[in-house]
Amino acid sequence: MIGAIGFTFPAVLAALALLPLIWWLLRLIPPRPQTELFPPLRILARLVKKEETPAKSPWWLTALRLGLTALVILALARPILNPQSELASGDGPLLILIDNDWSAAPDWDDRVRTAQALIAQAGDQGRPVALAPTVAGPAATVQLTDAGAAADMLGAIEPIAGRADRDATLARLLAATETADAPPVLAMIDTGLAEPDGEALNDRLAGAGLDGLLRFSATDRDLVAITAADNRTDGFALSLARTPAAAETASVALYDSRERLLGRGETTFEAGAAETIITFDIPFELRNDIATARIDGAPHAGAAFLLDENNRRRRVALLTGLAGDEAQPLLSPLFYISRALAPFADLIEPRTGDLSVDVPEMIDQGPAMIVMADIGVLPAAAADRIDEWLAAGGTLVRFAGPRLAASAQDDPYLPVTLRAGERALGGALSWSEPQAVAAFAAESPFAGLEAPRDVTVTRQILAQPDADLADRTWASLADGTPLVTGVRRGEGAIVLFHVTAEATWSNLPISGTFVDMLRRITDFARNTEPGQAPVTAAAESTAALPPLRILRADGTLAIPPAHVRPLDAEADARPGFENPAGLYGTPEGFVARNVLARDETLTAFAPAPPGLDVAEQSLVAEDEADLSGWLFLAAFVLLIADTLAVLWINGRLSFGTAPRRRAPASAAIALAAGLVVIFGAGTSRADDTRPGDDLILDALETTRIAYVLTGDRTVDETTRAGIDGLTRFLASRTAFEPGAPVGLDIEADELAFYPLIYFPMSAQGDMPSETAVARLDAYMQNGGTILFDTRDQLTGSFTDGATPETERLRDILGGLNVPPLEPVPPDHVLTKAFYILDNFPGRYAGSPLWVEASALDDGRADRPVRTGDGVTPIMITGNDLAAAWALDDAGRPLHAIATGDPLQRIYAFRSGVNIMMYMLTGNYKADQVHIPALLERLGQ
Amino acid sequence: MATIGQRSERASQAHTLQRARHRASLVPDLLVDARRIANTVMAGWHGRRRRGIGETFWQYRPYQAGETLARIDWRRSARDDQTYVRDLEWEAAHTVWIWVDLSPSMLFQSRGARTSKEERALIVAIAMADLLSHAGERVGYPGLLRPRASRNGAERLATALMGDLGHPNDDWPPLTMVRRFSEMLIVSDFLRPVEECEAFLNDVAQHGPRPHLVEVADPAEEDFPYKGRTEFLDPETGERITSGRAQDWQSDYTELRAARRDALRQRAHALGGSFTVSRTDRLASETLVRLHGLMTGNPEEVAATDAPGDSP
Repeated sequence: MIGAIGFTFPAVLAALALLPLIWWLLRLIPPRPQTELFPPLRILARLVKKEETPAKSPWWLTALRLGLTALVILALARPILNPQSELASGDGPLLILIDNDWSAAPDWDDRVRTAQALIAQAGDQGRPVALAPTVAGPAATVQLTDAGAAADMLGAIEPIAGRADRDATLARLLAATETADAPPVLAMIDTGLAEPDGEALNDRLAGAGLDGLLRFSATDRDLVAITAADNRTDGFALSLARTPAAAETASVALYDSRERLLGRGETTFEAGAAETIITFDIPFELRNDIATARIDGAPHAGAAFLLDENNRRRRVALLTGLAGDEAQPLLSPLFYISRALAPFADLIEPRTGDLSVDVPEMIDQGPAMIVMADIGVLPAAAADRIDEWLAAGGTLVRFAGPRLAASAQDDPYLPVTLRAGERALGGALSWSEPQAVAAFAAESPFAGLEAPRDVTVTRQILAQPDADLADRTWASLADGTPLVTGVRRGEGAIVLFHVTAEATWSNLPISGTFVDMLRRITDFARNTEPGQAPVTAAAESTAALPPLRILRADGTLAIPPAHVRPLDAEADARPGFENPAGLYGTPEGFVARNVLARDETLTAFAPAPPGLDVAEQSLVAEDEADLSGWLFLAAFVLLIADTLAVLWINGRLSFGTAPRRRAPASAAIALAAGLVVIFGAGTSRADDTRPGDDLILDALETTRIAYVLTGDRTVDETTRAGIDGLTRFLASRTAFEPGAPVGLDIEADELAFYPLIYFPMSAQGDMPSETAVARLDAYMQNGGTILFDTRDQLTGSFTDGATPETERLRDILGGLNVPPLEPVPPDHVLTKAFYILDNFPGRYAGSPLWVEASALDDGRADRPVRTGDGVTPIMITGNDLAAAWALDDAGRPLHAIATGDPLQRIYAFRSGVNIMMYMLTGNYKADQVHIPALLERLGQ
Repeated sequence: MATIGQRSERASQAHTLQRARHRASLVPDLLVDARRIANTVMAGWHGRRRRGIGETFWQYRPYQAGETLARIDWRRSARDDQTYVRDLEWEAAHTVWIWVDLSPSMLFQSRGARTSKEERALIVAIAMADLLSHAGERVGYPGLLRPRASRNGAERLATALMGDLGHPNDDWPPLTMVRRFSEMLIVSDFLRPVEECEAFLNDVAQHGPRPHLVEVADPAEEDFPYKGRTEFLDPETGERITSGRAQDWQSDYTELRAARRDALRQRAHALGGSFTVSRTDRLASETLVRLHGLMTGNPEEVAATDAPGDSP
């Protein structure tokens, strides 16, 4: 809203009268010309006769400068947007009642501004002010003060996630002005939402003797709030209420205790409807994690709904009369129940097996449900606790069995009276067939579930037929006899399955319907206890719950402020100053207190005190805005434009033609740079990529075989072709498909990406520097393997060691930590990693392949492969493997085999495959050879 | 910001001696410069290319009856049965008047120019004097030098000019000694009113010599590169004209200037002379080559370079 514009120093505007003078001066003083010596002036003199010389500034330049001057004058007068008009009239004390409840949060700043404006104007008029927030402690006092003190008070008020008590606040305000000599004026800055005390407020307003009633309220509040949450069978349901002006759609998100998003949904209010229900189809496993539900984009406490144990996963205690055999869990009566309940309930198992001990212990843990599988008689101590627990809202689920059948007549914890003994269906001496389960009745808690067609009951216990039996039957068999019966007992309920919990009497426990039925009962158990969670039910009556986390008015959770008191029995049912909405209790068990109660609606607040006019005004939405800064900015822009224009007039700025001089070009560059600095600053992005990242990613994406570039072109070419040939061989013969070979500059390239580095020795190549050798050493220490190939078997084997290549190898090895070496022993993994090999030929066949010597041979002759962890960090051969592997593009070998034996090339490739497999799998292959033995051992 | 054109150095009346000395020191440089430029042209300098009275051998030709026996070259004739006459190349000395305009408007050099207009005019004049005196022509300067044939014509002219440089030389030269059958080289910027120039040319025509006009032009005068608000100052009269947007005047100015030039050119051609533009951002030798072609009467060269509107 753009309101009027006022000036702080209107006197400065008188300077605008100077504009004509400035105009005259500007017209008179043109920009100084550039004086140029020009001999052919006579020719120009002829021109001048035709043209007028503009001795004065062009009109637009004058206008520009006049505008600039006017802007500066206007800016100096400090124009102010939205100067505030008079809000309250009269001369009595000004009473300000300001709502700081949950719904005040979204436009709290406007409310504070309104109050500030009121206080400031009252201060100007010298009227005393009394300020009272509607969410305040019971001990809050209100006094008539001067404007300064009231403004300080206003600064201390903040919205609280509670409910407004306007009537009591008004009473406090009126009490403060009893001694005033003039009738007070009341200004209500309210939220526009009705509170239950509307009638009382009207009466009090009518009887207060006010001089005037001003109401500052936002019209058309668009609030959507959550009033209740229900953990239903078909999903997690939230009830939403809205004000009439609110949008028809609302988006709700569910968060866990760490504010992680669990689900999000949208709902639409029907036209004209003030309430709706949104259902989230969220797995049971996740429902327990829901800690908060929030309406998106609604920064107020009503849009946040806190959930507590009441909506949480329930604890279920399991009891059995039989000590289950661990060895045969499938026959344990609780096995199927625990399997069915575990996903959505916390299970409590009996500790001792002694019912008189276990039952009180379990009840102490506060279960929502106790499942008893075939327990006939309960000890007296246990029975007392069970009674108490049932009255408090527990749900007892019992399963039949031989013991129950034996003691059914005098068992108090049964929904129906049972006949003694059990009924067998479909036995050898019976004509009857095993019975199927009938469809669930509509009023049954199991309504909606599909009756299992594959479930048959062969044995059951029967209820005494009486008048209540039909009402208490939740599920029945096809012949009408009850299968599940239930009855309410106190706050709780008792449910009886007329079959056993294991699959002896029927196959119900192993059907999917069984899980659904138990789940329904668990939900039912939840709903038996509105209000408090069972874990805190006992504690609440006696002890106060300390505030854990408090909902702030903007809908976020925060550390409780000092004014929050523990929640105790005396606490007001509605959240207020002392007990605002939030979580009370301990992190282990807490109660959620929400702003709105179930089924509450958001209705408009319309105070209509008889005999008193209500002057409605809107909130002061816009703060005063000082425009002088913008005017100065505009003047500065005009100044720049003026500079550019003068440059253009003087011909220093050329448009469209190639700049001949450097000055305009540099000016343009400076201007562009300035613009980039001003507007381009926000567009820079944090970029953590570094040069070479793409290479690293490339090297990591596929496994590659690397080789060292020796600097000897022939050797490097052969090596590259050789590794390429091996790569192709590997891809065609094995599951390993390496990427293109990589030539490494060991002085600079990162070595860590490659499992094997092939290092051909070349006497012509460059000797690696000490740094490079150190890098090789680090590579070997960190698990890499280098395959040195001296390629000199023909001229002198590695052992003879006279060739230049061998000398070079010795030089390099001198800088490495070389482990003890040995030629590949016949039982080494290398000989069996993929192919069975006994030697590792290349182009030549004579040189052995040297590897790290294995640890001490334990001498067990029956082991097919030597043990030993790790992979040799170094291999040395003289057979010129790469030359044997080298293939041209058509797959033809590039180098002849020294012996001329074509099989030797095959074996060379197989050597390469074994070496690569050894590199990639390590001693895994060594373990593979034990598989027959392992299988034999496992076979027992 | 630096101006485009600057007044080049030139003595005012109050500092005659000082300026004369400066010129004296400058003239040898000019002389050397002119020599150097003239030498490049000399290579293409041939005599009259016909027989006549002269000193150098031109041709042998058979003796024709009636010729004087004294011209028979006996040595040549003795070699065969014919009688030969030895012809010499015609070397008729011609009178060339050279006049340089040294008015204050010549003291101008813009940023794009190599030299000031005055320096260019002096170089052209002295170089032509050098060339012509080497060719045996008689070089004179109206009011300063009588026409004389001498090998050191350039030095003579330079010395004479050195004495004259200190004085304002803004009037047309006296033509009392100028006679017919001579050439007159007029080096000026011709910035005086075109009527005045034409009157002078008529004056010249009455005395008879063929006028060769060399207009020395500064590139700034030619192209009018001025932009924006500019105040123009006439170095001769001190008159000032201010332009709001100088670039707007450019097309009109160049048109007027071209019209003036055309008028002078036509006038010079009508008098049998020539008109040459020497821009100070071009080489002086270009002007000399063209003048050489004009004076030696090489018609192809002249026709190719003397088209209207052309400004070498």
